[in-house]
Amino acid sequence: MYKTSRPCHSRTSYWVLWVVTCCVLLFTISYTTPAQAEEYHLGPDSMRHNDVPKGTVTRGIWRSQKIFPGTERDYWIYVPAQYQDSIPACLMIFQDGSSYVREDGDVRAPTVFDNLIHQGAMPVTIGVFLNPGVIPGSAPGKQPRKNRSFEYDTLSDQYARFLIEEVLVKLNKMYTLSDSPDHRAICGASSGGICAWTVAWERPDQFQKVVSHVGSFTNIRGGHVYPALIRKTERKPLRVFLQDGKNDLDNLHGSWPLANQQMAAALSFMKYDYRFVFGNGGHNYIHGGAIFPETLRWLWRDVRTPSK
Amino acid sequence: MRTLIGVTVLLFAQPVFAQDMPLTQVLIEKEPWQLVGEGFRFVESPASDKEGNIYFSDVPDSKIYKITPQGSLSLFARETGETTGLMFGKDGKLYGCRHKERSIVAYNLDATFQVVADNVTAHDLVVTSDGGIYFSDPSHKRIGYLSPQRSVAVVAKNLHPNGITLWHDGGTLVVTERDHPYLWTFRVEKDGRLSYREKYYLPLTLTSGSHLPGSDGMTMDRDGRLYVTSTAGLQMFDPTGRQGGVIVKPQQKHLSDIAFGGPQFNMMYVTCSDKVYRRKVKPQGIPFYGFSHDLSTNSK
Repeated sequence: MYKTSRPCHSRTSYWVLWVVTCCVLLFTISYTTPAQAEEYHLGPDSMRHNDVPKGTVTRGIWRSQKIFPGTERDYWIYVPAQYQDSIPACLMIFQDGSSYVREDGDVRAPTVFDNLIHQGAMPVTIGVFLNPGVIPGSAPGKQPRKNRSFEYDTLSDQYARFLIEEVLVKLNKMYTLSDSPDHRAICGASSGGICAWTVAWERPDQFQKVVSHVGSFTNIRGGHVYPALIRKTERKPLRVFLQDGKNDLDNLHGSWPLANQQMAAALSFMKYDYRFVFGNGGHNYIHGGAIFPETLRWLWRDVRTPSK
Repeated sequence: MRTLIGVTVLLFAQPVFAQDMPLTQVLIEKEPWQLVGEGFRFVESPASDKEGNIYFSDVPDSKIYKITPQGSLSLFARETGETTGLMFGKDGKLYGCRHKERSIVAYNLDATFQVVADNVTAHDLVVTSDGGIYFSDPSHKRIGYLSPQRSVAVVAKNLHPNGITLWHDGGTLVVTERDHPYLWTFRVEKDGRLSYREKYYLPLTLTSGSHLPGSDGMTMDRDGRLYVTSTAGLQMFDPTGRQGGVIVKPQQKHLSDIAFGGPQFNMMYVTCSDKVYRRKVKPQGIPFYGFSHDLSTNSK
């Protein structure tokens, strides 16, 4: 009863539909190959190895009452196996921490840290992975205020003060950390990338190492002005790693590929200690994650943990 | 066929970060501003009732007018005490600030009114779904709250408030200061108090050579976009506080306030100095808090 006879034109239409669909598929594949079929893959330094000591990762909820009052956020602290209370460790802070800390994610920062610290390719470094804040609603059914863009995209020292006046204060009570700004790095992607830059730009006395993946140096909240500011401001003592790809976003806020090239050109003009890796990727962690071990080797190339 | 569609969809990259809300999601091609009323002294505070009729005030003339969705203009009330800050409540009454008489009143649909608070200096107001009222008090640099039981409290100080609005769930209050390039947000507590003040919507676009945005009235659409009138135009922000664009104002005069009206609540009405304009857009607003989001009963 369910089988119905099809008129001839229906069969023709079906074939036309197949042909059109195949054409669309072929076009889609060829058009999106650079962006979607990423040629970037994780290497051995991003994989677990049995002979490499594994650090610990602990999770908590951070409730800010001072700099971002009312916000709550998940955070993770990575402590390498080689950490000793008697020797000051370096520090690296990550925005959108859950993406960077994931054991099976695109970056796998704890695994990379374990491998590179074990190799002596980077100093003993505590990793702090902070998610953006959320102000929960006051009652069920009330929308939370999502603070990510406000915290990350705003051109001010507010996020830097959050790190310095809240996070670092607590960390210094828990661990022995170097107080040299040269021993503190900050890393993020997209808005988290411009945030990393803003923290170091505002407070180079506290953070001097920056890693930005697909950084949003665009006009989300005015961040497109940084290349111009860099060119007309006395050089600050920063080391900056930028990664972007030609298939990154082009939207109402700006062109990510052009903005990152402008940043790199400005850093070059002012003779900053910087590196710019520009590939084929899109707005994701894939390329940045694949080169993360090399990024860390470059970033920490002249910092080694002193022996006791 | 279903499989093919599935494969095709998978080939497109999934966005990793927050969704953008460009002006193309709001504006409709060949739907410009239309003049719907002119010859006023200074108009403000458009407010929609549940049928989509718009009420607005000619402040110095102390008159309130009504415009139907068909564009028919009529006088609603005279001798209004320079009423500003009109907004309908869930009870069907039109609330307003009788500025000259230092009172907040509720107009009935026959234009008679009852005083709901006196001895208050209020410029703009927003009526919550439970009948409470938040009002801006620029002369005392504070935000006031009139509870549903009609007790008045000061709930925020040390700001120079102008326009005032709420997110649609009533959980977040937004306030403009005309001289600062940001909008304040507060969490609304269960007892009406405000907490966790933040310059969430930032930065506002300024006109060349000016440091003053001239931000004034606001409204929100159902997707969470916030619209604020300003010297540079009608500025639109997404729910994460990022500006999505500036809609050009209909004439080079002060753009004072905005509301969604029309039977589908997809018609933006703006007051701009001596004229009132409207423009059909893609998003829809709501006429008052506590309004049913089911449009089917209002689309006849």
